[in-house]
Parts: sequence; C-alpha cells; structure tokens
Amino acid sequence: MLPIYLTFMLLLPLLGGLTCAVAGRKLPRALVEVLACATVWGSFACAVLAAAAYTGPQVITLADWFASFDLAIPISLYLDPLSLSMVVMIGFVCGLIHVYSVFYMRDDEDYARYFALLNLFVFAMLTLVLGETLPLLYLGWEGVGFCSYLLIGFWYSDPNNADAGRKAFITTRIGDVALMIALAWLFQLFGTLSITKANGMGFLMPGSVITMLGILFLIAAMGKSAQMPLMVWLPDAMAGPTPVSAMIHAATMVTAGVYLLARLLPLIGSSHAALAAISVTGGLTAFYGATCALAQRDLKRVLAYSTISQIGYMMLGVGAGAVTAATFHLLVHAFFKALLFLGAGCVIAAMHHEQDIYKMGGLRRSLPVTFWSFLTGAACLAGIPLTGGFFSKDSILLAVWLKGGVLYQALYLLGLLTALITAFYSFRLMFLVFGGGNGHVHRSSGLTVMQVVLIPLAILGLFGGLLDLPSYLGGGYLSGFFATLPVTDLPTGSHEQEIVLQVVAGIVALLGLLVAYFRYGKGRAERMREAQAQPSGLFAFLAQGWYFDKLYHLVLIRPYQACAGFLSERVDRGVIDASVDGLSAGVGGVGRLFGRWSTGKVAVYLISFAAGGALILCYLAWLAL
Amino acid sequence: MSVPLSHVLIVASLMFAMGLGCVVAWRANVIMMLIGIEIMLNAVMLTFVGGSAHWGIADGQLFSLMLMALTSAEVSLALAMVVYLHRRKQTVNTDQFDSMKG
Repeated sequence: MLPIYLTFMLLLPLLGGLTCAVAGRKLPRALVEVLACATVWGSFACAVLAAAAYTGPQVITLADWFASFDLAIPISLYLDPLSLSMVVMIGFVCGLIHVYSVFYMRDDEDYARYFALLNLFVFAMLTLVLGETLPLLYLGWEGVGFCSYLLIGFWYSDPNNADAGRKAFITTRIGDVALMIALAWLFQLFGTLSITKANGMGFLMPGSVITMLGILFLIAAMGKSAQMPLMVWLPDAMAGPTPVSAMIHAATMVTAGVYLLARLLPLIGSSHAALAAISVTGGLTAFYGATCALAQRDLKRVLAYSTISQIGYMMLGVGAGAVTAATFHLLVHAFFKALLFLGAGCVIAAMHHEQDIYKMGGLRRSLPVTFWSFLTGAACLAGIPLTGGFFSKDSILLAVWLKGGVLYQALYLLGLLTALITAFYSFRLMFLVFGGGNGHVHRSSGLTVMQVVLIPLAILGLFGGLLDLPSYLGGGYLSGFFATLPVTDLPTGSHEQEIVLQVVAGIVALLGLLVAYFRYGKGRAERMREAQAQPSGLFAFLAQGWYFDKLYHLVLIRPYQACAGFLSERVDRGVIDASVDGLSAGVGGVGRLFGRWSTGKVAVYLISFAAGGALILCYLAWLAL
Repeated sequence: MSVPLSHVLIVASLMFAMGLGCVVAWRANVIMMLIGIEIMLNAVMLTFVGGSAHWGIADGQLFSLMLMALTSAEVSLALAMVVYLHRRKQTVNTDQFDSMKG
C-alpha cells in the first residue's frame, strides 16, 4: 500500500495545482478554493496513512526516469523517519495555511494563480523531501525556488515586490549552482546519484574530497535556508502575501537546506571540517538574525529575521551531528513560526495592512484569540520553559555542548547569547503589538476563521516538546523513532548535565523576557517617543541587517552594474553595433554611388558599354603583344 | 583577284567604329542610332565573309545570311517600337526616355 500512498501524496497537490493553473479562471472561486485545500489535506491524509503503514526505511521505486550507460535515475522515493516526519509536518502546516489563505486572500482577484502556485509549492517540497535520487531532490529544490519566486512577487504590479522575488531567486540560485556542481562531482566520484547509496560510500573517498563536497552542499543550503552570507533575500521575501511568508518560513523552502544537510550527513559527517563549517555558519547566522530582529519596526521583518536565526540553530544542530535535535527543532519551529506568521496576518488584516509595530498596541483585548496564540508562538520562539521551542532549542544546545571542544563550546555560548536576545525580541514584539492602550481593529467575518486556524498550531507549538522529551523525563518519541538513522553515535550526557543545561537555558529565556518587560512593557511610552527619532548608530546598523545589503550593493552590484554599463555602452553599442552599422552604411554608400551611374539615359549605357568593350580590347591587345 | 584578309578587317573595323560613333553621337534621333547599329552589324558580316573567303569555308557566309534574317527581324521590331515611343512623347530623342533611372 505504501507506494500508492506516496504516489497520491505527490500527485494530489500536483493535480490540484495544474487544474487551478489551467482551468482556475473558468471555475467558480469556491470550487478553486475547495480544490486547493482538499488536495493538500488529501496529501496530508496520505502522509498519515503512510506513517501508519510505515515499518522501516524503505526505497520505493515508482518508475524509470532515464537510464543510459552508467547513469540510471529512477523515480524512486525514500521513506525513512526523517522524510516521514517532514511530510507529515508539511502536509499539516500547508493544509492549515491553505485554509487560512482562502480567507486572507478573499478580496484578491487573482485567486487561481495564487492557489495554483501554493499547490505546486507543496508538490515541489514533497518531491524534495521524498526524492531518493539527488536529481529528483534537485527538481523539488528548483521547484520550490521557482514557486517562491512567483509567490514573493505575487503582487507584481508594485516593482518593489517584483524586485524582492527576483532577489530571492537570484540569491538562492547562487546556492543552486553549488548544488549542481556537487551533484556532478558526486556522480563522477561514486557513479551513482542515489542518496542512500552515496551515503554508504563516503568512506571510499579521502577526507578532503568529502570536506569539499560538504562545503558545496553547505553553500547550497546557505542559499535555500537563508544562512550567512546568502541570507539577504529572506527579509525582503516579506513582500509576498502573509500566508506565503508563513509557508516559506515554516514548512517549506527554508527548511530545505537543513533537510539536505541532515539527509546527506552520513556522507559528509565524516569530515570534521565540513561539520565545523556548518556549525559556524549556523551559529553566526543565529546570532546575526537575532540581533537584526532586535531593531526591526516591521512586524513581518522581525519574524523574518527570527526565521533566519532559528534556521541557524538547526544548522548548528546538524553541524553538531544531532540530526534528531535539528529535525525536532525544525518540526516545532514549523508549527510556531507558521503560528506567528498567520497570527501576524490576522494582526495585519485587523490593522488595515499596517505593519509598523510602533503604530500598533492594545490588541490584547480586541483580538484575544490572536493574542493568546501569538503569545504561545512567541513563548516557543523565546524558549520559555516547558514550551515546545524550549525543548527543541535546548536539545540542539545540549548536543553542541556535548560535542565538546573549544569551537563547539564557544558556539554553545553564542547560542545561549542568541537565546537571550531571542527571548528579548520576541517579547518586545509582544509588548509593542499587544500591550499598551486600546487599539482599534477592523473586524471581518474572515478574521474569525483565520483566528481559529491558529489554535491547532498553538497547541502543537505549546506541546511540541512531548515529541521528544529529554531523557531524564523518560526520553522522547522522536529519538527512538530516529534511532534507525545511520548517524546517531552521539555522546549522550548524564541526566544531571541535561538538567543543568536546561535550567541555564530556562533562566536565560526568562531573563530576556524580564528585560523586555522592563524596557517595552513598563517603558513603553518612552520607547514610543524614541521611535519617532531617526535610528542612529548601533540601532540603524541592526535595523539595516548589519548593512549587508549595502555591502553587497557596494562589492557586487555596483561593480557588476559598472561592468554591464561598460559592456553595453562601449562594447555592445560601441564596437559590435557600430561595426555592423558602419558596414551597412558603407555598403549603402557604395550602392548609392554606383546607383548614380544608372541615369536611365540610353546614351550613358551605350558609352559605358563601348568603354567596357574598349577596355577588354585593350587588355587582349596587351596580352597579345 | 583576292583581297587580303587584313584589308577586309581594316575596312570592317573602320565601319564598326563609324557605326559605334554614329550610335553614341547621334542620340537625338533613335532612327539614326538604329542605322548605326546596322552599320556595325554590316561590319561584323563583312568580317565573317572575309574570314570565310580567306579559309575557304562556307560557315562564315552562312552565318552572315543568318545575321541578315536576324537584322531584318530586329529592324522591323525596332521601327515598330520607335513608332510607339514617338506616340508617347512626340519625340525620338533618346535622352527624353530616362524612366529607367536607378
């Protein structure tokens, strides 16, 4: 039965997407909406059935794709704990986002395009996760990038939105190039593109080759998962509709890079240098994202930077070899980040599309459901003890600490500092948006349903910790489930160690909450006054994302534009066009010159004829003499 | 009595040159140009006949007979066209007919 479930899991969103794309405009709106939601929920149902029928890691070959010489790429899917937990999460979160979208996009005329892309997005992500061969994974990888490009630039009539879409596409493409190189190299090395086979052949190669492969995969993941230094696209990706942001940030797209590295960890995990590079990238990005989120004014940008930061944690976890912890955080993060984004969508819809958090306030009473859900999400993000985010983030930090060594202990401290900042900015957001005086909101019938969607996510985020409790509380479901994965030979700490680390993490989170309370809860009026002024110094540095955009503009875009300008002005127009123009002008001139000869007068022709004859005679005479 | 070939050729070239001169110079009248062409053709025929006599082969004479037939046909056509052209522009000056100007 498993192949049937998997086939339908993939085909349903594809069919839904294609139907919406081809006939969406002809069909009534309600039908398109029902179709889009039903296909994703159907896909989720298939994922659940597959999970029920799951017995062990299994490669399922559905069909032959192409096979020539020694290159054989079947359409085969790989179901193991990693991909299974991912597809269940993707189906569920995307299903909720689809339902939410129906109400969020109620006034948009372009519903057919929207739902078609949303469905295709789900299909691409599922292909990415389930693909057993790297080309299949790559197809999903590119499909996700393509759909995100179109969805970020969904309201393309505003050039800023279209630019944001292009920025996302081009930036992730840099990573895709690395992935393409890695794929070609992998095939050249191992003669196979099957993930399971390649994972088992890592020991055949010298360490340096594995390190290089690891770095290439890391660059690919940097692009897709918005890690340093390719993270600049994610804050701008906020230009899309809010449910799309929720989808990109929570269930799909940005998790793809983490998934890729976790999937290939058996191959690249033997290289300590590659792992260290992954950890350092993750740690630095986590810190970067958290600091930038401190100074943002746009509600969605705060969340975007928090995503960058949280994905950084996951990378850190993968780098420490803790696939379980990273996946655990990935799943819990998917729930609470979707919750936060959808909650933000409710807030934005209720505030007449105002996104400046300094202009909000007092939504605690006017939007109670959103408030409580958002509070849950923020608590998870901040890692307040006993929420899902606390356990998942802590399991990553624990793994990093247990990995040992100066580098990992420094990364642990950086992670802890990041956790403090995270708690601070999460509650800064809470206090600014929901605290303070009474806020006026704009209610609509759609808002009620949109708020209802938040509730299951809030529950999952809050109790997500139950998925994988620390071992002193009896151990986790996820750890046992993941035990079949090839890499689980991690050092396990004693219970005391775990408890101490969790207490430290809990104190840090509560400390952040406390500071945020004093600064933005009690000192709210003062902060509001400060916000009127132009940001300066450190604040502007953080608000601008460490000026990375400006740096890239200076280092990459300006020279590129200058080079393009030179090539266009001087080389293309100056040399190539000019020479072609000159040639045509010369030919035309010569033609006009000779054209003057044909006067139409018979006499001129006769004289010319006679002169020509005379010339020939002279030549013959000269030859004869 | 036989005329040397060179004499025949000299007379023929002189005739050809005069015919050409007539065609080039007398362009105010199409008919005079046609006469010039006839003179040139006659020079050619003279050359053929002279060559035929010199080598004792009848080919040249045959060819000049053919040329006579051809010329008569050509002249009748050309004169018809002259009449037509004269009707169009009331003139036989070739310089007036320059509609072929490129």
